[in-house]
Amino acid sequence: MSYELIQNNQYNIGHICTKQQCEAGRGKKTAMRWFSPRLERSDYTFSDLEGSSNRFANLLKGLGIAKGEVLFTFLPKSTEQIVAFLGSLKVECITGTLFSNFGEDSLLDRLGDSAARLVVTRKSLYRKIERIRDQLPALRTIILTDVAADLSADVLSWPHLMADASETFAVPVTTADTPSVLHYTSGSTGKPKGVLHRHGSVLQQSHTASEVLGLGEDDLFWCTADQGWVTGTSYGIIGPWSLGVTQLHYSGGYDAGHWLDLLQRERVTVWYTAPTALRMLMREEQELYQGLDLNHLKQIFSVGEPLNPEVIIWSRSCLDKEIYDTWFQTETGAIMIANRPGVPIRPGSMGTALPGIEPGILADDGTELPAGSQGNLCLKAGWDSMFITYLNNDSAYRSKFRDGWYYTGDMAWQDRDGYYWFLGRSDDVINTSGHLVSPFEVESALLELPEIAESGVIGVPDELLFEKVIAFVHIDAGIEFTAELELKIRLHIANRLSSVAIPQEVLQLERLPKNKSGKIMRRVLKARYLGLDAGDISTLEE
Amino acid sequence: MITLENLETVFHQVFDDHSITLQRETTADDIEDWDSLTHMNLVIALELKYSIKFALGELQKLKNVGDMLDLINKKAAR
Repeated sequence: MSYELIQNNQYNIGHICTKQQCEAGRGKKTAMRWFSPRLERSDYTFSDLEGSSNRFANLLKGLGIAKGEVLFTFLPKSTEQIVAFLGSLKVECITGTLFSNFGEDSLLDRLGDSAARLVVTRKSLYRKIERIRDQLPALRTIILTDVAADLSADVLSWPHLMADASETFAVPVTTADTPSVLHYTSGSTGKPKGVLHRHGSVLQQSHTASEVLGLGEDDLFWCTADQGWVTGTSYGIIGPWSLGVTQLHYSGGYDAGHWLDLLQRERVTVWYTAPTALRMLMREEQELYQGLDLNHLKQIFSVGEPLNPEVIIWSRSCLDKEIYDTWFQTETGAIMIANRPGVPIRPGSMGTALPGIEPGILADDGTELPAGSQGNLCLKAGWDSMFITYLNNDSAYRSKFRDGWYYTGDMAWQDRDGYYWFLGRSDDVINTSGHLVSPFEVESALLELPEIAESGVIGVPDELLFEKVIAFVHIDAGIEFTAELELKIRLHIANRLSSVAIPQEVLQLERLPKNKSGKIMRRVLKARYLGLDAGDISTLEE
Repeated sequence: MITLENLETVFHQVFDDHSITLQRETTADDIEDWDSLTHMNLVIALELKYSIKFALGELQKLKNVGDMLDLINKKAAR
């Protein structure tokens, strides 16, 4: 695929997804079939995408934004988000997408660390940036997509700027190693880290869109992921459009009726969604599926967290479809291990390694373990979509590699037939409905509340979300733990971090378990919550 | 009698956005931060504010804010 994909040494993702498709004769082909939450439809051709992303590239140039500078979109699913993403890549900016439910702390961490120069957002979300803007000296310009005229010299109108910008833009010949996309990801300690990718990642994203998802010229592909996450950019933008495939985008949230209506009426042929969404569909009234015609739907794929076998079995009986679970991370940039058509599914497994990808199960000392052994899931470094650094944190980046292996942070085992089976994280990071949540960040946000003296946050298994966030708090003496305080805690987390980090339960403890250094022992909290043996508690200070 | 204006104050608190104005026709799609997770915050806030309890799944059946207001008034009157 790569010999056709890369022409004249041009690796620029924005160019490949638009102009290159027009030059291949797809200018009038629908690139994007857009549906509003109320199912109003708008179609955009590859030529439309080429013109509008060129306009955005030109307006960036006009604003003095240069190669290598960072900009973000902070938008719900919207056409402007996609145009800005492609246009900024054409200018060789580093472009990031911020989940629209991020609160002020999450925004400050990301915009501050990256020294972002420009943010594209909308009026109702801008209030969050306004509150922290004095702490963001590098942020020069805000573009609002839904105001007709500029609000000030540095808060500008998208319609105004776009109307004035030219539809033609000469994309520089971009090398494979030029930085491209930036997504922040949470760890168990410290602030979120900026995972930086390069334009050469398009090789792997395009290859997997073709060879795993099976996308071809006549497909209508729907990836339900929000563009705020890596799946939404790697497979909601880059992979399919690098192949000239038409994509459906629905800007509403989960709605079983609307989703099934779109799948049937629009004759979607390949669908990429998440286990949590599939589990929600499984719980819907069965009448919803009566008379549903999904004959045209060739494949369903899943990503985000492990897909439990019950969902696969439900899909076989209710939808008469297989669901192929896939595995990758923000850091890997594209699918690495997958169940896929032509390879028998082992329900509950991650699937097998893709050609050219070399996983290994390694002990903590780096020894390669034989089939059947549990250990660290690692990948031999050097695949095309491998991240190139953690922005401003190269030591953390280097710590993820040892002896040529990338340590994913996931624990797994491999069976004798080459299938990988996920066991859990090797750290405390919580995977809730496919989103990684840092317990450290939630604990820190909780401590901002004057009522809370100590906090400990864990993830525990959940039937719907895969894992749910549980917060333990020690309240200051004299303060009562009331329903009002619990609401205050929940709202604080939603508004400071994100809705995905809201604790599903907030539990009061007289004392949190700590080791002799004063560190909260999350492992002990988890064991107590689950009613399990806490294991070695010799370091417990109680 | 609880009014749309009364509900607005709860929405302002839950979504940390004082620019929200509610109509009977308003739905989750009209409010940026209203998703399945913040919805739980809204439920708790409404239950606390009006000393009512929603049954499991009761709110899922509502089409818009108008339906929600009617249900809250019905429960508050009991």
